[in-house]
Amino acid sequence: MLARPCRFEQLKSSILLRIVAVLLASLVAAVCVAQPITLRFTVWDGDVSLKVIQGILTQFEKENPDIHVKLEPIPDYNVYHQKMITLYAAHAAPDVAMMDPGHFQGLAKRGAFLPLNPLFNNDPKFLGQYYKPLTDAMTYKGQLYVLPRDIAPEGIIYYNKKLFDEAHIPYPDGSWTWDWKERPELKEKDFLWVMHQLTKKRADGKQQFGYLPSGSGLLADMIMYSSGVKPTDDYEHPTKVLYDTPEMHKVYHFVDDLISNKKWMPSQADVSSLFQSTTTQMFIRQQAAMYQNGIWEVPNIRHDMPPGSPDWFDWDIALAPAYVHGDRSSDSGGSGYGIFSSTRYPEQAWRLTKFMGGPVAMAAMARAGIAQPAIRSVALTDVWIPGPNTPKDQQWPHNRIATDQAVPYVKYGATADYWPSVMNVVNARIGGIWDKSLKVDDALHLATVEGQQRLDQLIKDEHLPAFNWQDGLIAALLIVAAILIAIYLPERKVRYTRRQKQESRAAYRFLSPWLVGLIIFTVGPMILSLLMSTMSWDMIMPAQWRGGGNFKEAFTQDPSFWPSIRVTLAYTLISTPLGIFFAFLLALLLNQKVRGVPLFRAAFYVPSIASAVASALIARKVFAPDDGLFNKVLYSPVFEKLGWAISSWAGDPKAHVNWFNNEKTAMAALIMLGLWGVGGSMVILLAGLQSIPQFYYEAATVDGASPFQKLKAITVPLLTPSLFFTLVTGFIGSFQIFTQVYVITGGSGGGPNNSLLVYMVNLFDAAFQQDRMGYAAALAWVLFFIILGFTLLQLAMSKWVYYEAEAK
Amino acid sequence: MSVESGTMQATSQEHLQIQRATQRAERTVKIYRVLLWIVLLVGTIVFLTPLWVMIVMALKTPHEVAATDIWSWPQKPTTENFSIVLNSPNAPFLDFFKNTFVITVLSTAGCLVSASLVAYPFARLRFRGRDRLFILLLSTMMLPGIVTQIPSYIIFTHLHWVDTILPLVVPAWFGGGAFNIFLLRQFFMGIPRELDEAAILDGATHATIFWRVIMPNSGAALATVGIFAFVYNWKDFMGPLIYLNSPEKQTLEQGLRTFQSLQQEKWELIMAGSVLVMIPLLVIFLLGQRYFVKGIVMSGIK
Repeated sequence: MLARPCRFEQLKSSILLRIVAVLLASLVAAVCVAQPITLRFTVWDGDVSLKVIQGILTQFEKENPDIHVKLEPIPDYNVYHQKMITLYAAHAAPDVAMMDPGHFQGLAKRGAFLPLNPLFNNDPKFLGQYYKPLTDAMTYKGQLYVLPRDIAPEGIIYYNKKLFDEAHIPYPDGSWTWDWKERPELKEKDFLWVMHQLTKKRADGKQQFGYLPSGSGLLADMIMYSSGVKPTDDYEHPTKVLYDTPEMHKVYHFVDDLISNKKWMPSQADVSSLFQSTTTQMFIRQQAAMYQNGIWEVPNIRHDMPPGSPDWFDWDIALAPAYVHGDRSSDSGGSGYGIFSSTRYPEQAWRLTKFMGGPVAMAAMARAGIAQPAIRSVALTDVWIPGPNTPKDQQWPHNRIATDQAVPYVKYGATADYWPSVMNVVNARIGGIWDKSLKVDDALHLATVEGQQRLDQLIKDEHLPAFNWQDGLIAALLIVAAILIAIYLPERKVRYTRRQKQESRAAYRFLSPWLVGLIIFTVGPMILSLLMSTMSWDMIMPAQWRGGGNFKEAFTQDPSFWPSIRVTLAYTLISTPLGIFFAFLLALLLNQKVRGVPLFRAAFYVPSIASAVASALIARKVFAPDDGLFNKVLYSPVFEKLGWAISSWAGDPKAHVNWFNNEKTAMAALIMLGLWGVGGSMVILLAGLQSIPQFYYEAATVDGASPFQKLKAITVPLLTPSLFFTLVTGFIGSFQIFTQVYVITGGSGGGPNNSLLVYMVNLFDAAFQQDRMGYAAALAWVLFFIILGFTLLQLAMSKWVYYEAEAK
Repeated sequence: MSVESGTMQATSQEHLQIQRATQRAERTVKIYRVLLWIVLLVGTIVFLTPLWVMIVMALKTPHEVAATDIWSWPQKPTTENFSIVLNSPNAPFLDFFKNTFVITVLSTAGCLVSASLVAYPFARLRFRGRDRLFILLLSTMMLPGIVTQIPSYIIFTHLHWVDTILPLVVPAWFGGGAFNIFLLRQFFMGIPRELDEAAILDGATHATIFWRVIMPNSGAALATVGIFAFVYNWKDFMGPLIYLNSPEKQTLEQGLRTFQSLQQEKWELIMAGSVLVMIPLLVIFLLGQRYFVKGIVMSGIK
């Protein structure tokens, strides 16, 4: 069985029983001094915070000698949630896991997490210590599932005191407001006026923006929530996508106007071209006077700009403005710890959870400057708010009390577990506003139509019948039988001589390791995924039977399906042959007898082995519009004409091409990046060249053949087996291209106007952003058959390949 | 295919012509060499940019990383980042190095052995169902791994292999992957058939032919597979991430990510770590190239 059926009542009673049993057991244990039990504990923290957590755990183990905690850090937030689901589906979940409001409900709803209320006896005093918006966000159907650890309101604005001084504007004290229009008469109490005043051309020619949010969506959400616009009808059970209302249009037009017309805040293109990797660095480099983001950026600012360093400037934080006719509001981060219902030690797991989400642990995290305590009384002490005893380097930001003041206004939005899946569709279109590939009105309209379609589908899917595993097993066996028959049948009448029979038997002996591995490790998962393609399955709840519904949805409804096929085909058909051509030229060059050839070869292989993180960073720098290396060459006097020609073709004849953020050039940039990785094919072709028997060349030289003749008559024909290999595997690989696109788009979907929406981006999204494994499997099998057809075609047309020893 | 016949009885005039032709050829070769060097140098600069950036960033202080261009050479190069990485308590570098090394060596060895065994019959033997089995082999590359991840995980849980290196190492010994099998098959098919026919006349078994004829003539191909398998396993992130839970069993790629958490991206440490992680790969590549030697052992053919 894949998923565990978990009925809620059953679960509750079994938990009570278990708790009683465990309590009894621990009594016995206390008498007999048993071995400590081991709790598995996962967190997504890394580096500094991980160190702090290890320290806290040591203390916990000292106080609880009967418990040993095995910390399993997974320092990658996105992969973390992916792994949690995989672990749970495989019955290997940890006991206690770090969790956040965006992800716990899916687990809680399906009984994968324990409700915590019985564990603290519904004590309102216990719960009351925590910030209420946070405990509310971690509650589902009246039960708390995640004990909060920290909160991180994003209604905070970092500001550069030096730039405020230069403009003679008093520092913000949080009493400011925003309105739909600039209100000069309010002066520094009007957010837009301040933004306007602080926008200017700097002495060094660079643009200084008045305001910079960590993402344009952050400002849009703030405007939306604080002016009382709702994205959906009901936060707990949304049934309507409300992005096409006049009020919502007003919100997005307002933000777009600030970016596109007033230019008081940077566009997405400005941001990606100006700095290395984060908006924080733009603030540090004084390219924005105000910067809105969560408090978690403080360690970064301290780290990159320690007091006393040459470019240091004084800065602080302030509460973000309220709507002039209404309220404040902001998004918020926040995390805590939950207990998987599969734990064998709920009582011990609760002790660990209570300790990690308790005052001691919080104080330690706060002191390290990492996390604002979720318990208000702890947050208000000098572990978080700087006091006279706080060391000098931890004094900034002084006005840390703003983080407490911001809490009552945080909005976690809709909490339904299926809402993120809808928002993915919505955000894909809204992204078009920020990268300027869609007009505001069109984007909101498309977002609403497509989002509503997804929402209706998800609500309908809740009533599908359960998947019948017995029938599934029979189907799987039938498929295997069909494959075996298809392999055996066509040759059943061929008569073999005794020697041939011997040869055949010897062949199967050689093949046996692969055949065994195929049966154990490959066939099972493949068949299972084929079954999955007929399911509606989120990897947590029992699977449901959807028949051909997934395939039908892909072909007829999914707005990304056909575009993704088109994009993938374009990429594959251009990049694979181009890559092989370059690899072939390189291999020919590097096959010469030149001094230092091994080092040259290694150099060309470097991009293939360099760290992925480094390559991603460099890719972004190489293709940056203004100071990117590529454009520096392209717009240098030599190639200038070509450069400007590309510029006008790409849409703006006056600006340097912004390769990654322009729908016309993103694909070209992706293909060029791919060429950087030709090292792998080059090595294969080099090995192929080296394997060509030398005497052919000797004979040809004697016969007076020119180098070109030798290339044509010897090298190319004898290299065809390797060329064929690179072609077939190159196509198979490029149909499944994913990582490189992820690098360019920063993991946010299909790039400018979906011009990089390759097939795997859509598939990955279905599997791990929307938890729709059934649909993902259907997409995967469609891709499988596309690639299979393509490969069979190549095999059928492989007459051009010359094998020295054709085994007839 | 005789080499010796021909040119011996050249007259003196022909001799002169040949001399001139040789001189001309030598001159072209010289120009050609220079051109080749220039092309290679330019290409090398383009392809070495990742390494350059990794090194310069690894040598900068955090402040300098934030404040300067990524291409620039550090004002005061510091090796402090390397010592922080080597002594990081969260990611004990030497332990992780050992873990990664064990996994990589075991699975690379597995790939080499089993992929060449399986490639041999596909390349040189005739047996029932060969062509269709070959398509089946290729088809195992065509299904995106995302959708087989959970089923595979369930299998390894039932085998009680989770949190051991077995899921990362054992499959390599059972086939070594369709990519490697296909690659070796292509190369084995390029070895002249006369070689094994001679061996069969001498009464050799297929095992002998495989070991004495095919393997010794496939140095470059085996080195290629070895390099690829080594690089792949050394840099694998998802595999260890999913199958290894205990912190003390983790690998270098996982260790590198601890410098890149949600709150902080410490570029200087990521780059210092990346440089250290990359060195063994360069060494393996240069070592592997020794097997890129010209030609096939042609004894017995001429």
